[in-house]
Amino acid sequence: MLKGIWGSDWFGLFVVALVAGTGLALFQPAFLSPFNLYVLLISFSLWALVAMAQMVIIAIGQMNLSVGAIGGLVAISFAGSMEVWGLPVPAAILLGLAIAALCGLLNGVMTHVTGISAFVITLATLSIFKGLNIGITEAQPFYGVPDVVKAFGNARFEGLPHMLIVPVVAIILIWLLFNRMVLGRQMLALGANRHAAELSGIRVGRVVVIAHVISALLAAMAGMLAVARLQLGQPTIGDDWLILSFAAPVIGGAVLAGGHISVIGTCLGVVIVTLINNALVLLGIDPFFVQLFLGGLILIAVGLNRWRERRLAPA
Amino acid sequence: MATATTGRGGRGALGLLASNEVGLALLIAVLVAIFATVNPGFTSPFNLFALSRVMGIDMVIGLSMMVVLVTGGLNLAVGSIGVASVMLGGWAMQVAGVPVLPSMTLAVAFGAFLGWINGQLTVRMGVHSFIVTLATMSLFFGAMIVATRAEAFNALPRSFVDLGKLRYGGFVSGMLPLALIVGLGLWLFFNRTSLGREILAAGANPQAAELSGVRVNRTIVVAHALSGALGALAGLMLAARNGAALPSMAGHIGMGWLLPAFLAPVLGGTLLTGGVVSVAGTVLGAAMVTIITNGLLQLQIGEFWVQMCLGLILLAAVLLDRARSVIAERRRSVA
Repeated sequence: MLKGIWGSDWFGLFVVALVAGTGLALFQPAFLSPFNLYVLLISFSLWALVAMAQMVIIAIGQMNLSVGAIGGLVAISFAGSMEVWGLPVPAAILLGLAIAALCGLLNGVMTHVTGISAFVITLATLSIFKGLNIGITEAQPFYGVPDVVKAFGNARFEGLPHMLIVPVVAIILIWLLFNRMVLGRQMLALGANRHAAELSGIRVGRVVVIAHVISALLAAMAGMLAVARLQLGQPTIGDDWLILSFAAPVIGGAVLAGGHISVIGTCLGVVIVTLINNALVLLGIDPFFVQLFLGGLILIAVGLNRWRERRLAPA
Repeated sequence: MATATTGRGGRGALGLLASNEVGLALLIAVLVAIFATVNPGFTSPFNLFALSRVMGIDMVIGLSMMVVLVTGGLNLAVGSIGVASVMLGGWAMQVAGVPVLPSMTLAVAFGAFLGWINGQLTVRMGVHSFIVTLATMSLFFGAMIVATRAEAFNALPRSFVDLGKLRYGGFVSGMLPLALIVGLGLWLFFNRTSLGREILAAGANPQAAELSGVRVNRTIVVAHALSGALGALAGLMLAARNGAALPSMAGHIGMGWLLPAFLAPVLGGTLLTGGVVSVAGTVLGAAMVTIITNGLLQLQIGEFWVQMCLGLILLAAVLLDRARSVIAERRRSVA
C-alpha cells in the first residue's frame, strides 16, 4: 500500500504543490487575487503544452531539442501569414499546424531512417527551423495580429483564461493516448526496449514518426498561444523553452531513457514550476533567480527519481 | 590523426583520401577559392585577421565539447561555464585589481571546477551527462546572472584587451596559434599519455575498461573538468576580442555556443558514442564552420540565413558520416 503511494509518480508532487500553494496563500494574500490566478493559469497553459511536447519524445526514449524552434517558426508563420497574406484566422492556424507536422515528420523520418541519435538530428533541425525563422523575419516581429486573436489572448471567464481550453483538451487527449490507446502503449514499449518492441511486431518507424509529429503539433499550439498572449508574432518565441520542457517531465517522474512517463506528473511539474516562478515574483525576489531554481529543480528531481528507483528496485 | 582504441589502420591510400581530415582540408581549400573569387574582400588582411581570430575561438569551443564527447557524454553547459568563468576573471581584473595573468588563471581554474562539478554529478547520480549539464547550464548561468546583476565588465585592463589585437605577419590573429597549441596539447594528451588513453578506452567500452583496471568514473570527471577549463579559455578569448566580459556573449543560458561546439567535432569525425577522437578533425571542422560563416556574411546575403546554413551543414555532415560507416560496414562484410 505504502509502496503503491510512493510508487505513483504524482502523489508526492501533488502534496508538494498543495503545500506550496497553501503556504503562498497564507503568507501572501495577493496570491489568491483573481488577477494573479489568471496570470498563473496563462503561464500554465503555455508551459503545459511545451512540457507535453517534450514528454511525448521522452516516452519513446529520445529527446527533441527543436521543440522551441518549432514553436517559434509556427508562431511567426501564424502571425506573418495573417499580416502579410491576410489569411483568415482558421486558415492561419491550419497553416501553423501543417508546418509543425512537416517539422515533426522531418525529425521523425531522419532519426528513424538514419539511426543517428535524436540529439544530433534535432540540434541540426533546431538551427534550421530557428534559422528559417530569423531568415524570414530578419529578427523583426510581426505586429499585425488580428483583433480576434488578440481578444482570445485576453479573454477570461470568471478568472479562467479562455486559452486554458487548449492545454486542457491536449492534456486529456495525451492522457488517453498513453493510457487507453494501442499507439501510446507502443510508444512506451519502444522507449522501454526497442529490440523487444521490434520483435513483438511493433512498426517502430511509424511509431517514432507519429511521436515526433505529435510533439511538433503540441509545440505549434504553444507557439500560437504565445502569439495570442504577446499580441504579436515575436521571433524569439520558443528561445527559452528548452530547460522547462525537460524540467516538467523529469519532475513528473519521467525516465529519460524512455518507456516511462506520467501525464499527471508532468502537469504537476508544470504547476510546481509555475508556483515557484510566481512565488519569486510575489515575494519580491530577483527574477534572475528563476534560471538558478529551474536548474536546481531538475537536479533534485533527477536525484529523487534515481533514489526512488533504487529503493523500489527488488532487492 | 584519428585515434581509435579499436584501430582503424590498414586502409591504404584510398582510406586516407576518404578520411575526415583530408576531406575537410580539401573542402576548406575549395571554399576559400570560391569565396576569394566571388568576393576579393575575403582575402584582405583585415578580413583574414578577423577570420583567424574567430576561428581560434571556435576551435577552442569545439575542442571543449570534443573532450567530453570522447567519454560518450556531452556538455551542454560549455557556454554557461565559459561565460561564468569569464565574468569571474573580469571581476578579478577590473574590480579586485588582480593582475591579468593570475585573473586568467583563476578563470580557467574556475571553469575546470565547474566542469568537475558536472563530472562528479554525472558519476554520482549515475545518469547521462545530458540531463546533468542541461540542469547545470541553467544553474551556472543563473548564478552568474544573480552575482553580476547582468552587468558587463567593460573597463578591463589594456594588457588583457590588447591580447585580442595581437597579430602575426600582418594578418594572423594571436588567437589562431593559441588554439593550435591547445589542439597540439590535446593530441599529445590523447595519444601519448596513459590518462588520455584511459579516457578513450573508457569511452569506447566502459565495462571492458573497468575490468582492465581503468577507473572509468575518474576519466569522466577529468574529461568534464578539462572541458570546463577549455570552455573558460574560449570565454577569455572571446572577452579579449570583445574588449569586455559580457553576460550575454554566449546567448541565452549559453545556448549560443552549442551549435559551433557540436559542429566542429562532429564534422571532424569524433563519434558521439565515445571512444574515438580526432583533434585535427575538430580543428579543421571549426575552421570550415568559421570560413563558411565569414564567407556568407561577406556576401551580404547571409546575415539572417547563416544559422540555417550551419544547421543544414550539421545535418549533411552527420548524414554523410552515417552513409560512410554503412558503406564501410558492407564492404567489411563482403570481404
